[in-house]
Amino acid sequence: MDSLGQFEQIVLTAILALDANAYGVTIHAKVEDLSRPKKATRGAVYATLDRMEDKGLISSWLSEPTKERGGRSRRHYRIEKSGEKALRESARTAQRLVETIAQNLGGLAWKPR
Amino acid sequence: MEAALSEPPDWLERIVLLAIPPAAREAVAGDLWETYQNPQQYIVEAFRTVPLVIASQMRRNLNLPALMLQSALIFICLGGPATLLLLPALLLRDAYQPVARPCPRRAIREAILLSSGAMVLLLLIMSIHSPFPIRTGVDPFTWLSLFLAALFLSPFLCLFRAGLIMQADRCKPLAANDVSKDALAGAYENFLRGAFCRNMLEGVALVFAAAVGFFFTWNFLLVGLFALAAIYLLLDSLPRPSSVCDFGSLRAQYQRELARQGQLRRFLRWLWFAPVLVALHARLTEVPAGAEAVTALLNCVAVAILCFLVAALNREHGGRVQEQIGFLDRMRETVTPASLPSPSSASR
Repeated sequence: MDSLGQFEQIVLTAILALDANAYGVTIHAKVEDLSRPKKATRGAVYATLDRMEDKGLISSWLSEPTKERGGRSRRHYRIEKSGEKALRESARTAQRLVETIAQNLGGLAWKPR
Repeated sequence: MEAALSEPPDWLERIVLLAIPPAAREAVAGDLWETYQNPQQYIVEAFRTVPLVIASQMRRNLNLPALMLQSALIFICLGGPATLLLLPALLLRDAYQPVARPCPRRAIREAILLSSGAMVLLLLIMSIHSPFPIRTGVDPFTWLSLFLAALFLSPFLCLFRAGLIMQADRCKPLAANDVSKDALAGAYENFLRGAFCRNMLEGVALVFAAAVGFFFTWNFLLVGLFALAAIYLLLDSLPRPSSVCDFGSLRAQYQRELARQGQLRRFLRWLWFAPVLVALHARLTEVPAGAEAVTALLNCVAVAILCFLVAALNREHGGRVQEQIGFLDRMRETVTPASLPSPSSASR
């Protein structure tokens, strides 16, 4: 299994957090929130979503068209089993990093839920 | 999300819609509309979004074997500079792949346009290089054949295009909009079985063609390509273990397999056509002195017609694949009594 890049981890986490409401606009907003203070363009989010869908980490489908979108559908996303596995693996790596940094620099008290 | 306070100007939206590749148009244009504040914000957001969407669609639709084969054919026929010029155009064309079959009127119009162009070119050559007296190395019988071919080209191409449209119309669409997981799994199994059978048959045909090519000393690169494609197809026909998954995952798996088989077919159609093009090019290099210009033009016409036939097949089939993928995108799962959780498992 390929390891996830940092931006992929952020986008996957955003989809996980948004659950049933994960589509372009909300994912982009959540990604901006998660990657503060860095900015993320919506185009980068779309490109990452496409790439992860091709890898089978996420899947997508179209909703019914809505009026507030000019009669267009939303493309909803959800995490697949392989995506969950990859995200857990990334979280474990991040946890090890945080622990190592905390041991050497101190002041980083992070406990995963 | 809050409803948009206002909507983008019609003309501006049309421009942005044209720039967004068709496969991403619905979702991206909808997202841009939803976050619309004013024309400036809309333009800036479109500029920051659309180029990356185009690049992503280029990557997604990239059919590397087909692109390499097309580039090699262009290189053989037209040379290096033309290949460098046409390569980005081919990549862009992939990104803007339509999500549906072309409408019949447009398809027939293209056939008429091509045949009319070919006919005008042939008549022009005949008027410049008159068959009497014979100066160009082409005998009057050939001229007569060309004249008749030019006359019947238009009805032939129109009939071919109409046949493709009718054949695609006859193909059964995927079931209803709402289906159960079992029905979707059944449709997917049927599709896989059909694809594997087709791959097996085409693999055997490619082995035969490679053997014939080797025997008749074709271009060795082509023989190698045929053999490699045959090995890939025969390996691809081997049964694979199916994984148990839910409706959404099954749908995604079905869509990916549809796209993969579509890409494979696109490459194979170009591969079958490649020996004809290489043979035409070889013929061009062996013409008698004085007939180069005429033969070159005739070859160009023949290549254009052959390319039209392959492109028409690809567009019709590719459009049908995209329609099926789009149909799956909008498919909803119907909950059957058997798939409902039992009260005991629900309370756990």
